[in-house]
Amino acid sequence: MELHKEKQLLETLQGVFQLKSGEIKRRHRIEVEVEKKDVVPLLLFVKEKLGYKHLSHISCVDWIEEGRFELIYMPWSHQEQILIMVKVSIPRDAAEMENIDMIWRQANTYQRELREMFGIEFPGFVGDYDFILEDWEDIPPMRRDFDTEAYVKDHYFERPGREDAKDVRTEIAKRSGEQIPDFAKKYSR
Amino acid sequence: MNDKNSQKIVDVIKNFARKHSLFVLAYGTGCGAIEIPATMTSRYDAERFGIRGAATPRQADVLLITGYLSTKTLKRVIRTYEQMQDPKYVIGFGSCTINGGMYWDSYNTIKLLDMYLPVDIYINGCMPRPEAVIEGFIGLQKLIAAGKAEGAKKYKENLDWYRANQKKVIKNWVMPDYNW
Ligand code: SF4
Repeated sequence: MELHKEKQLLETLQGVFQLKSGEIKRRHRIEVEVEKKDVVPLLLFVKEKLGYKHLSHISCVDWIEEGRFELIYMPWSHQEQILIMVKVSIPRDAAEMENIDMIWRQANTYQRELREMFGIEFPGFVGDYDFILEDWEDIPPMRRDFDTEAYVKDHYFERPGREDAKDVRTEIAKRSGEQIPDFAKKYSR
Repeated sequence: MNDKNSQKIVDVIKNFARKHSLFVLAYGTGCGAIEIPATMTSRYDAERFGIRGAATPRQADVLLITGYLSTKTLKRVIRTYEQMQDPKYVIGFGSCTINGGMYWDSYNTIKLLDMYLPVDIYINGCMPRPEAVIEGFIGLQKLIAAGKAEGAKKYKENLDWYRANQKKVIKNWVMPDYNW
């Protein structure tokens, strides 16, 4: 398979920026990792000079063991048909990232979501208020140190009977005195 | 009109009328709302049982909770329910309303609907098919005919208990008080 478009793009980026790593994942997709200070210049560069007009997503991974969040910006070019995954690590305890909603307006929505779900602050953007969750008081729920089960236990009621995970078929049969034929037994737990 | 027997007759007539005109609020949460168009339209044709849609809470008799409720939606649902006029009934749809379903460990959906709203009848399934939905409606009609669908009364009488549960998950309670 010819990957020369992807190779060319990677070489361009390597020429202009100091990449921590750069890799061609497959056709139509490359992955680069940069320092925090290079993110905005790189995004501006690919948008203005290379025609990556579309920001498909900003995603986040919580590397709790390493004490960092990894943000992944994904600009896409309709002409080149390539998705660049721009990775950047930010420290977990001072989670702050530059606001890019003047480059792409849709970034505002993603940033609001990241702010709410991971607690990453983007100083200076409009939208630092509730997004999907309402009146949330705990730590941001998508952080890995948020204990969902404990939260559920002390905020919501639980219907008794879930914990033993009985087989529905056999329970109903028992209740109504019905015989389950032998061949069907192997399908019940 | 004041003696017991004539009141009974009035009740029978009232319940008969109520059970044959269930106006369902056109409101859906969760996955289940997708079964409602199928139930209402020509294939399953719920209108032959007197079940039809109503546009606003004040015109509706039945509130369908068609699946999981996030706490954010719960706030709106409570407000909707309290705006509805008597007689009013609540149907809980699918396992999410019964015991949390597959959202049993989700941080922002409630697990037991009947702790927050008085549910008259549950329909199980994930998602219940239109047949099951109609079955559930018929179950509700039977309850109404027997005069046992008294969720609204229960809600009024135990309002404090419901309010306490509701306020447990809705932190910022800014809602009007209705005096039905
Ligand atoms: S019971 Fe199943 S279909 Fe219904 S809302 Fe829950 S997950 Fe969706």
